[in-house]
Parts: sequence; C-alpha cells; structure tokens
Amino acid sequence: MDSQFLVSLLLIIASFGLYIGIAVYNRAKQTSEFFVAGRGVPSVYNGMAIGADWMSAASFIGLAGTVMVLGYDGLAYIMGWTGGYLLLTFLLAPQLRKSGRYTVPEFIGDRFQSKTALVIAAIATIIISFTYSIGQLAGSGVVIGRLFEVDAKIGVMIGVVIIAIYATMGGMKGITWTQVAQYIILIIAYLVPIIFMSLQITNNPLPWLSYGNIVSELGELDRELGISEYFTPFDTGSKWQFLALMFSLMAGTAGLPHVIVRFYTVSTMKAARWSGAWALLFIGLLYLSAPAYAAFSRFILMKQVAGSPIDNLPGWTEKWINTGLLSMADGNSDGILQWQEIAISNDIVVMATPEIANLGIFVIGLVAAGAMAAALSTAGGLLMAISSSFSHDIYFRIINPNASEKKRMAVARWSILIATIVAGLVALNPPGVITQIVAWAFALASGTFFPALILGVWWKRANAYGVISGMIVGLLVTLTYIFLAKFGGVTVFGIIDTGAGVFGAVAAFLTNIIVSLSTAPPSQKTQEEVLDLRYPEQLKYKDGEVWKDDEVI
Amino acid sequence: MKKIDKKTADAYIKAIFRLTTVLLIIWLTVSFGMVLIAETLAQYTFNGFPLHYFMGAQGSIVVFIILLFVNAYICDRIDEKYNLVEKKSKNVKGQTFSQ
Repeated sequence: MDSQFLVSLLLIIASFGLYIGIAVYNRAKQTSEFFVAGRGVPSVYNGMAIGADWMSAASFIGLAGTVMVLGYDGLAYIMGWTGGYLLLTFLLAPQLRKSGRYTVPEFIGDRFQSKTALVIAAIATIIISFTYSIGQLAGSGVVIGRLFEVDAKIGVMIGVVIIAIYATMGGMKGITWTQVAQYIILIIAYLVPIIFMSLQITNNPLPWLSYGNIVSELGELDRELGISEYFTPFDTGSKWQFLALMFSLMAGTAGLPHVIVRFYTVSTMKAARWSGAWALLFIGLLYLSAPAYAAFSRFILMKQVAGSPIDNLPGWTEKWINTGLLSMADGNSDGILQWQEIAISNDIVVMATPEIANLGIFVIGLVAAGAMAAALSTAGGLLMAISSSFSHDIYFRIINPNASEKKRMAVARWSILIATIVAGLVALNPPGVITQIVAWAFALASGTFFPALILGVWWKRANAYGVISGMIVGLLVTLTYIFLAKFGGVTVFGIIDTGAGVFGAVAAFLTNIIVSLSTAPPSQKTQEEVLDLRYPEQLKYKDGEVWKDDEVI
Repeated sequence: MKKIDKKTADAYIKAIFRLTTVLLIIWLTVSFGMVLIAETLAQYTFNGFPLHYFMGAQGSIVVFIILLFVNAYICDRIDEKYNLVEKKSKNVKGQTFSQ
C-alpha cells in the first residue's frame, strides 16, 4: 500500500461523500415545491446536470484513448456525440416536453395508443441500457484494477458489488444539485492534467490553442518511423465507416432514453431550448479537450517512453502491465523499447497519462475520482432504468397487473441485482473497448427510438402497426449487423459494427412508413394531438382551430 | 381559453421551421460536409493543425454550440414577436393522448 493508493482512495471516497451529502440534504428539503421534478432549476444548472448524466466512462475514460489510437478517424466520436444535441434540441426536446410524458416508452405507448408498442419500447430500453452499462462496468474495472494493482477482471468484480449497492440505494440520479457537483468535479479532474501537460510540453496554459503544433509534430515523428501520419484521414477505416459511425452516434443521442428524460422535466419549451444549449456548452468543454489529451499522451509516449532501455522502464509501467491492459515487449530484442513495441489499450490512456507525465499523486488521484464518478453514476442510472422498465412497463402492465406495491418493489430490486451480475459477467471479458461497446448502445438507439420518435412527433399518419414493425425491424437489423460485422467479417462499404445504426435507422424509417401507409390511419383525435405538439406550450390545436390558454402563461 | 387566428399561429410555426431548417443545413455542412472533403482540407493548416483535423476536433463542435445558442435566442425573439412568451407552464402532466 503506497501513498498513491491512499490519496486516490481518499479522493474517491471524499467525492462520493459529497454527492451523497448533497442528495441527502436535498431530499430532506424536497417538500418545498422548488425542487419537485427539477422544475424551477435554472437552465444553466440543468445543462450541467445533463452534462454529468451524459459523461459516462466512455467519454471520461475511453474517448481520449480512442482518439489517440484511431487518429483522425476517432474524431467521429467527438463530432457524433456533440452534434446529436442539435437533432435532439431542434426536433424532439420541445415537442416531447409539450407531450408531458416522463419516459420514452410511455410517450410511444400513448402517442400510438398501443400497449404492444409500449412493451417493445420497454424491451428496447432494457437492451440499450444493458449494453451501455457493460461499457461502464468495464471502465470501473480499469480504475479499480489500477487502484489495487490487480487484473482489470478482478476490478470489474469489485465494481459490480459497489454498483449493486449504489444502485439499490436509488434515487441519487434525479437530484439536479448532486449532478451539478458531479459535473464540476468531473470537468476539473479532466482539465487539470491536460493543462499541466500543456504547460509542460508547450509552455502554454491553454491546451486548446497549443496542441495544434503537437498534432503536426506527431505527424512528423510518424513519417520518420515510416508509419502513416497521426492525422491521416480514413487510415483505420473507410470514409463510409466514419460517416456511418457519426450518424449513428448523433441519431442515438437524440433517441437515448436516459438523456431525453432530462428534457421532459424542464418547465417550458423555452427552458428545453436553453437547457440543450447550456448542456452542449458544458459537454463540449470535455469533447474539445479529449483530442488534446490524446495528442499530449501520444507525444509523451513517443518522445519520453519510447527509446528507453527495456530493462530500465519507469515505475508506472509495471502497475499498468499488472492490469493486463498494457504490454511492452522488446519484439526485436535490441534492448530498447520502440514505439511500435508499446501495445496500450484505448481504455487506460486517460488514467495512465498523468502517471506517465509525472503530474504528482494528487492529480492522479483526482483523475481516478473523476473516472469512478463517471462510471458508477452512469451505471447506477442505467441499471435503474432497466429495473423500472422491467418492473413497471413489463411486469406490472403485462405479466401481473394485480401485483401489489410490495411485490413490484421486490421485482424491481431483483431485476437490478440480476442485471448488474449479468452485465458484470459480460464485462469480465469485454467484447470491445469501452467506446466501442457504448457505440453499440447508440447504434441500437438510432435503429429503434430515433425513427419511432421522429415519425411519432412529426408525422401524424404514423400508426401503431408502423411503429411496432419499425422498432422490431430496426432492432433486428442493427443487432444482426453488429454481430455479422464483429464476428462474421461481413461489411458493407467498409462499415464495421460501430456504424451499424445507419442500417437500422434506414430500415426502421422505411418499415414504419410503408406499414403505416398500408394500414388504417390513427384516429382523428390522435392526429390532431400530434399536430398540437408543434404549437407552443400555451396554444392548443383542436378541431382545426387554435386556442390560446392565458391561464398557463 | 380564447380562440386565436389560425393564420397567426401557423405563421409562428413557419418562422420556427425556417430557422430550424437554416440551422440544420449549417449543421450538416460543418459535420458531414467537412468529412466528405477531408482529403482536400488536409492540404491546408490552421493554428498548427491540418485543417481537416481542426474541423473535426474543434471547428465543428464550436459551431454546434453557437448554433444551439443562436436557436434559443432567436426562438425567444420569435416568441416575443407573436406575443407567446412562456412564463410558466401548468404544473401537471400533459393532457394530450389520453387513453
């Protein structure tokens, strides 16, 4: 047990103590109307809370490493995970806000007047959240594995236990002020090492302005080594893969149930627009910094680590090699470690770089605390989404409508526990790196919810048959493509598993439109209510006329 | 509840629709458009970056953020013009799509 272990552990415990403290304090005050369902929270803070919800292990732990390994091609993740907010804020958030429903399955069930559609949406929510949480558990394995200097697999097991406890405590997610605190800690933990590295390497405290030259210099180093330049476009995959992945992440953002929920609880359509804008500003701060993180990490590895004698590697290397995610082998037996001989997993770049750059035990501990918060809070929220979809939408509505309150609570608890264990088992041998696993969740959302919501809000002719068949076809096409591309080696235009959402979305849109048009239109009343969603909050569209309700303004 | 002229309400919707269309075209250009011409952009540099890398890592994201704030600001002005400023909404669940 060294001082680094103690400092990291202390910072993790202190930050979680802060989150729980705020939650407990606010829960006690919750009788005051101000805090009910987050209404009345200013858009700026709501934006921060959305940011904290959004920044999972994929953004915090995985993203910079993915950009470092993929070079320009990794930027599809940067553009995809930010650009989706425009689709969401322009085309869905204000309208869904007006519908007044609190969850995506609930909106789909009521808009299409169909219990079957609701159940399919609930099943899709479970599949998407489950896939997403595998990535989070794998991320917690990386952090815990390094902390205790054990294999990442053992780290995952410890993570499962902590998350199961954290998730069953429940309720922490919905509290805006906890998430505001979480956002602030996350972003400080992410920016501090980048600013230090920027000062170390370029003498400029503003990494965003200084790392351009580093990117160009990396290209030169690559040319000397005779490998393709860091920034070469479409070096690791085709241009179609880049576009497909970007689309899939954007459409997935607009259809992801746990993100959309945040917009249902704002007070007005106006607040929905401003919350979206603030959210992207806060999220953008991390996404603008991730490529800088990647460039500095790669620069330090190439300049300071590569070239060292193999029997005299810095102390940090051993601890990371123990996690099984880093290997340094002297392939050509010349006694010197070359850049090509370093095999570093995407998932450890963010965690390992502060150690590599020797930024001190406090910064390293801070990054560990930020990473833990990102992984655990998102995983907790996702597992609760799974359990409420299962216990409320499926068990209570379909399997046993007469279930008592007590029985439903028991089902909810058991489903959290089972989902956590199963996700943990899959995460023991993660089927990909964190960003890749999370990209599958986005692909599934873009193949199911994105078409269902866009058509549900903007096309009054879409009916229950259309949305049911559309969601099923979109889900199957996306899943099939992911498996075929990942394990069967089948690709179209070089689009691999992470870009599968584009096929799912096209198939779902077509199916929904064709089936809707060849079956009876929805009732006149439903069609009018769909049109009503376009009008601002205090206008009501009814019987072909528009009514203004002065009571509500 | 009082009835208002449907033409006024539809003019409001048209104004919002026009704004959204313009913003989404800019969005398409800086994201998908810039990726399509990445090889051409790679010949130029900006602030030390190869230009295609700058657009992917910084340029497009900054534009996205600006577009969202422009949208929120202009929508507020449109609300004012049509005298539809929201103060607060009814604090109850929406009443549409009732079963």
